[in-house]
Amino acid sequence: MKKECVAMLLAGGQGSRLYVLTGDMAKPAVPFGGKFRIIDFPLSNCTNSGIDTVGVLTQYRPLELNSYIGNGQPWDLDRMNGGVHILPPYQSATGAVWYKGTANAIYQNIGFVDMYDPEYVVVLSGDHIYKMDYSDMLRRHKEAEADCTIAVMEVPWDEAPRFGIMNVDENDTIVEFEEKPKNPKSNLASMGIYIFSWQKMRAYLIADEADEKSSNDFGKNIIPNMLNAGEKMVAYRFEGYWKDVGTLDSLWDANMDMLSPASGLNLLDKSWPIYGRTPSCPPAFVGPASDVGNSAVAKGCVIEGEVKNSVLSVNVTVKEGAQVSYSVLMPGAVVEEGASVQYAIIGENCVVGKGAKVGAAPETAANPDDWGVAVLGPGTKLGEGEVVGAKTMLDKTHQGVKA
Amino acid sequence: MKGMHGIIFSYEKKTGLRELIEHRIHGSVPIGGEYRVVDFMLSNMVNAGIQDVGIIMHGKCQSMLDHLGNGKHWDLSRKHGGLTLLPAFAYAESRGGVEKFHGKVEALACVLDYLEEDIRQDYVVLADSDLVINIPLDDVLQDHIASGADITCVCTSIPGESSDTYFKLDDTGRIIDTAYDLYAPEGYRGLSLYILSRELLVRLVRDCMAHNLYSFRRDILQAMGDKLNLRAYVWDGYAARISTVQNYYERSMELLRGDIRAELFCPERPIYAKENDACSSYIDPSGECVNSLIADGCDIQGSVRNSILFRGVKVEKGAQVDGCILFKGTVVKKDAVLRGIIADKNVTVQEGRTLIGHEHYPLVLGRGSEV
Repeated sequence: MKKECVAMLLAGGQGSRLYVLTGDMAKPAVPFGGKFRIIDFPLSNCTNSGIDTVGVLTQYRPLELNSYIGNGQPWDLDRMNGGVHILPPYQSATGAVWYKGTANAIYQNIGFVDMYDPEYVVVLSGDHIYKMDYSDMLRRHKEAEADCTIAVMEVPWDEAPRFGIMNVDENDTIVEFEEKPKNPKSNLASMGIYIFSWQKMRAYLIADEADEKSSNDFGKNIIPNMLNAGEKMVAYRFEGYWKDVGTLDSLWDANMDMLSPASGLNLLDKSWPIYGRTPSCPPAFVGPASDVGNSAVAKGCVIEGEVKNSVLSVNVTVKEGAQVSYSVLMPGAVVEEGASVQYAIIGENCVVGKGAKVGAAPETAANPDDWGVAVLGPGTKLGEGEVVGAKTMLDKTHQGVKA
Repeated sequence: MKGMHGIIFSYEKKTGLRELIEHRIHGSVPIGGEYRVVDFMLSNMVNAGIQDVGIIMHGKCQSMLDHLGNGKHWDLSRKHGGLTLLPAFAYAESRGGVEKFHGKVEALACVLDYLEEDIRQDYVVLADSDLVINIPLDDVLQDHIASGADITCVCTSIPGESSDTYFKLDDTGRIIDTAYDLYAPEGYRGLSLYILSRELLVRLVRDCMAHNLYSFRRDILQAMGDKLNLRAYVWDGYAARISTVQNYYERSMELLRGDIRAELFCPERPIYAKENDACSSYIDPSGECVNSLIADGCDIQGSVRNSILFRGVKVEKGAQVDGCILFKGTVVKKDAVLRGIIADKNVTVQEGRTLIGHEHYPLVLGRGSEV
C-alpha cells in the first residue's frame, strides 16, 4: 500500500549519558513528564501530523520499549495499512550485523520502507522533547523542491559550538554544515529531524554502505555527502520548545520546564496532545496533611507529605513528613516517612527509606563543581536513614556509578 | 464450556439520582474521579476471567454506548465473544415493544435468543450496573458449585436502605425468605448479584414468560424459594449501590478514606477505566490542594479541599472548592466559592460566584450549565 510519507524513528541508542536510568532499557523508554515516556513525543507528533506509518529502529535493550509500544494503539498507530512497526536488526542469507550507525539502521530496513513506496521519509530521534507538525515541514520540503530538509532552530550564540550548525543563504538553503564549530558562522542548530525524498536518500544509503571508511551516520556522512554533491538541502526553521534529553541534567531540566508555562512546554495544551500508555489506577490522592505546590501529579499517586517544584509520575507515594523538592519521581517510586528528596531523579519503583536523604540544594555545596542532580537507578532501595549526596548516582545493586 | 458469562443490566429504573441521570443511565454516572459506575462490575468480571459480557440496555444509553465503545478498555474487544451490546429493539419487533422493562426477567426475555444461542459458558453472572464493588467473582462461582446451589445470591450483613432486598438465611446458608421495603430491615442485604447455570436461567425465563411474569425478585426468588435451592454468598467487603444524589455524594466522599481505596482499588484486581489522554495535573504555587482526589489534566491555582476532581478541571486563582465533586471539564473561575456542590460535565462557574450546598443536601449543577 503506497504511502506519501513514512517516519523512521531512531530508538536504538543506549543513551549511555543517562547512565543508571538506562541500565535495563533504551533511552526512549525512559519516563518523562509524569505520564509519558520520551518516545511519546515523536510518536504523538507523527500521529498529530497525519503520518500513520512509523518504523521504530531498536537495538539496545528493547524489551521495555517493545512492550510499551505494543500494537501502537495509544498513539492511534494500530492500523490496517501502516501503523507502528518495531524494527530490530535481523539475519539475512548473507549474515547478520548490528546497526552500525544511524544511516546503516535505515539502510538495513530499505525493504521495510520500499513496502510503502513512499515519496518522502521523515527521520526522527527518540530522545527529544518537543511538539512539532511534521506536515508543515513536509510542505516546506515540497515547496522548496528539496532533496533533504533539516529542521533547525536558533540557539544562543555561546551555545552554538555544542551543536551541528547549518550555514544558510537568504532562501534558507543550506550551503554549509559544521559539526560543533569553534567559531560558528550561524546559530541555526540542527535538531536531528530530517525529511528526505526517498529515492534520493535510498541511493545515498546504498552508496554510503559501499564506502568501507564511512561510519554510516546521518550527521557525519549522509548529510555532508549530499551537500558536497550539490543536492538541494534546505533548512526548516522551528520555533517552540525543543530539548535533547540525552543527559541527566537535561532530562531533569526538561521535567522542570513542564512546571513553568514560560518555558514553552505546555502539556495541558489540548491542541497538540501527547499520548502515552498508562496503567489503570485511581486518581491521585492528596492527603489532609500534605502540602503540594508548583508540581505535577499523576493518577495513582498518594501524597501525604510535602511536594514542591517536582514532577511525580503515576503511582508515586510520598508519605507523611517526607519532603520532596525540585525532583523527578518516576513511576512507582516510594518516599517513606520523614525522608527528604531534593534536586534528584528517582527511578522507577525506587524506595527511599524512612528518614533517608537524597540530593541537596545547590546553595549548600561548598564548591559548585561538586554539586549536581542525585540519581537513583530503577529499583534502588535505600534503607532507613541512608544518605545519598548531591551529584551521586546509585543503581539497584547499591553501587555508586561513576559518570 | 466451563466458566462464567457476564450479563449487566443497564436499563432505566426508578432512582433518586435526579440531574445526574438527566442525560445518562445510572450505570454511566461518573464516580471517583476516573470511573463510571459500570466500570466496577465490568472489571470484576474481567478480573474473574470472564471473557464474554452482554450488556442489556434500554433508555438513555448514548452515554453508556460512548463509554463502552468496543470494550477494548476492559480487554473485551475479542474475535469471539467479548463485549456484546444488547439493545431492546430485538424485543420490540417480536413483542410489539415495551416502553421500559418492568423487571430483570422481562429484560432477559428480550434477549432470549442470545441466552440460548450465544452463551458458551455453563454459568451466568447477573449484575446491576450501579454497584461499586471489587469482588472476586471466581470465588463466588467456586462457592456456587461447591454448595450445590441453584441460584447464589450475593449479599452483605452490612445494612443499607429499607428499599433494598433483604434475605433471611437458615443455618446452612440457604435463603428462606426474601423481602423488600421492610419496615425494619433485618437479615442480609441483597446486592442484586446472582450466579446460576445458563440452562436454569433459560428455563426460568421461558417459564416466567409463559406465565406473564417479569420480576426476578418476586417471581423467582420469592415465588420459587421452596422449589429452588437459593443460597447466599456473604460479602462483607465494600459495596455501594448508587441510587440517590445523597448516597452518591456520601459514597464518593468515602473514597477519600485510604482503607476504602485500598480495598476498592486493590492492585491484584484493578478497576479498568476508559483510557484518557490527559497529562498530569498541575498544582500551581498559589494553589492549595488537601484531602482530595485529583484525576489527570487538572489545573489547580486556587484552593481545593475535601473534594473529588475529574479530568481536566480548572480551578482559577482565589477560587475555593470544598466538599465538592467536579466532573470532567468543570471550570471554576477566579474567586468563586463552591461548597457541597456536584458539578456535572463542563460546568462553568463565573468569577466571584458563591454556591453553597450541604453535605446532607448537595447541590447538583446540570451538565454544561453556566453559573
